[in-house]
Amino acid sequence: MSRKLLLVVVSLVLVFGLLPVVSTGAQNDLPKIGFLPGVVDPFYQVMQLGVEASAAALGVEVVTQIPPTWGVEVQTPILDAMIARGDLDYLIIAPTDKDQMIGPLETALAAGIKVITVDTFLGDGDYVNGPVTFPISYIGSDNVEGGRISARGLAEAIGGEGKVYINSTNPNVSSVEGRAIGFNEVMANEYPDIEVIGLDFNLDSMDTATQQTAAVLQREPDLAGVFGTNVFSAQGAGTAVVNAGLGGEVQVVAYDATQFAIEMLRAGTVSLVLAQKPFDMGYLAVQFAVADAAGVTSLPKRVQTGFAIITIDNVDDPEIARFIYQVPGS
Amino acid sequence: MALGKQQAIEVGTTTSQRERRKQLVLLLSRVWAWVFLGILIVFFIVSVPIVSEGSVTFLTVRNSQNILVAITPVLLLGLGQTFVIIAGGIDLSVGWMMSLASVISALVIRETFNVGQPLLAAVIIGFVATVVGTGFVGFLNGTIIARLKVPAFIVTLGSSFIVRGVAFLLTDNTTVIGLPPGLRDYGNNALIYLIRGEGGGVYFLNSPDVTGDLLRNMDRVLPYPVVLTVIVVAIAMFLLKKTQFGRHTYAIGGNLEAALRAGIPVDRHIISLYMLSAVTAGIAGFLSTLRFTAGSAVIGDPLLLSSIAAVIIGGVSLFGGAGSVMGTVIGALLIAVLTTGLVMLNVLPFWQFIVVGVVVILAVLIDQARDLIIGRFESE
Repeated sequence: MSRKLLLVVVSLVLVFGLLPVVSTGAQNDLPKIGFLPGVVDPFYQVMQLGVEASAAALGVEVVTQIPPTWGVEVQTPILDAMIARGDLDYLIIAPTDKDQMIGPLETALAAGIKVITVDTFLGDGDYVNGPVTFPISYIGSDNVEGGRISARGLAEAIGGEGKVYINSTNPNVSSVEGRAIGFNEVMANEYPDIEVIGLDFNLDSMDTATQQTAAVLQREPDLAGVFGTNVFSAQGAGTAVVNAGLGGEVQVVAYDATQFAIEMLRAGTVSLVLAQKPFDMGYLAVQFAVADAAGVTSLPKRVQTGFAIITIDNVDDPEIARFIYQVPGS
Repeated sequence: MALGKQQAIEVGTTTSQRERRKQLVLLLSRVWAWVFLGILIVFFIVSVPIVSEGSVTFLTVRNSQNILVAITPVLLLGLGQTFVIIAGGIDLSVGWMMSLASVISALVIRETFNVGQPLLAAVIIGFVATVVGTGFVGFLNGTIIARLKVPAFIVTLGSSFIVRGVAFLLTDNTTVIGLPPGLRDYGNNALIYLIRGEGGGVYFLNSPDVTGDLLRNMDRVLPYPVVLTVIVVAIAMFLLKKTQFGRHTYAIGGNLEAALRAGIPVDRHIISLYMLSAVTAGIAGFLSTLRFTAGSAVIGDPLLLSSIAAVIIGGVSLFGGAGSVMGTVIGALLIAVLTTGLVMLNVLPFWQFIVVGVVVILAVLIDQARDLIIGRFESE
């Protein structure tokens, strides 16, 4: 009996003790990658498609965990669980806070997991000279740049002159704040004939966005454009514009190319949709992890994935339509 | 003898003076919100043209309609809440309930329409599904509160999480889209169309087919969401003021023990109050689906605090037993007028928060001052 038990134990030790050696021996440069986006939503779902496509092409295994809601308190326990697995070599993560996630990700690093951040970043996003330098790279389109591109798109749509207005969600949220900063910067520096007449916070309520925009249209009857810093803000603003009989005359920009945004574009509620490239982010991040594992040392610390501007004129062009956040099955 | 008569007369005079003063305080506390609203509107009527150097006026048909549309969700969330708070409870689930309703109505309308039903039928079925769905959750809320004696604060806080989870599950955290395009008309068209200026006129029910300047100068008077809300408010007002249901609501909030002893079916009544609260929040969600032609699992949550603020500004006592539907209407109007007016004044957006906060605290202070003064009158 006891000899039998001993035999089992010994053979188990042999099997489990030798397995990793065997497997690392066989696939020397194929790391195992964890993917931890910010929250379940179309943007990250498309990013996951990129991750999976890239992983399939390279033959690496990816473990994906998606937090149900956005936030450090939700993301950290999942991160800790992924570290505790002990089998991950790389982690592709969209940190839900640029400061608070530094500690938890240093823990991952200490456990031998190298970090790549996608969409969002740690510290100030500068992994060369900034306060945080340990991640391999930050792959994403930053919000300030997105605000700049939105501003240029809107400026072009209104002919380079007139009054524009920003409707945003909440104060002190880095993403939408950055978009407004970039937007204001471009309008101030590149378009002297465009005046940004104000910014309101709708606190994530479409109803409030509509009310505020309706009031602004009363205040500024010659308003030429509105920048909605997210899809909801744009929909709220666009509803006010259409109800004021100004559909198609006051241009509305929506940030992020969700299918809802595209539906609004087709309905004429918004006139410009700014698409990020989450697929690119996910695809490149896996490539970077595999390259790093293979000993590539010249990976850029920052990759700007850029944007596409979608209008009613190009929305059916396959070259542009592929940037719409489309998740199969939903 | 003579002296005693003298005393009696003196006491009599002071009592009636006190009575008059008490009545005055009561009257003031009842109408202060009206007065404040009036002052606010006058303030904006005067200040908006000054700040804009004469180019903008606050008092326009369009602005009045914008404000009416803006109050509909806040008012509907606050409407059932008014009953619940008068009866001494609280319903913290109304915000997420509105979101759930938005999701349910969007899904039902889309699917009904997609199987070939006419749009109107789909909208009606969507409405019924919303009322039934939210009413069911309200029934659960009320049952746990009334029968199992769990504090309303806890139950509705808990159920708001559950409702939120269900709404996210139903939508997979995406916006419910693909709704019939004609739906937008139900949420944004109006009873009356007023076209100002040359070539203008008045049209009823159907939006006139105009473009350009005519379209720009067209005001939608009494949009459908406002009409539906007015109907719901009228029913609620009747219910609270004129029926046994209303009297029971006040009785339970005023003195639960007495209500029980008077033979009021307290448990059953409390359950129906939470159902009412859930359903009015549900109607708010239904209307937002029509307005924005989309269902969203996050649409209602930001409005929860505004709706409670509206109820409190309207003079509903958080300790139960006092309040009115009209008060809540005024409260919601106050907030909407403030938001619209401040945007038109172009002050920094943070002032919107500060002013609403000050008004809420002021409302409670006035409420307490009233109780204090009346209490002093009565103890003397």
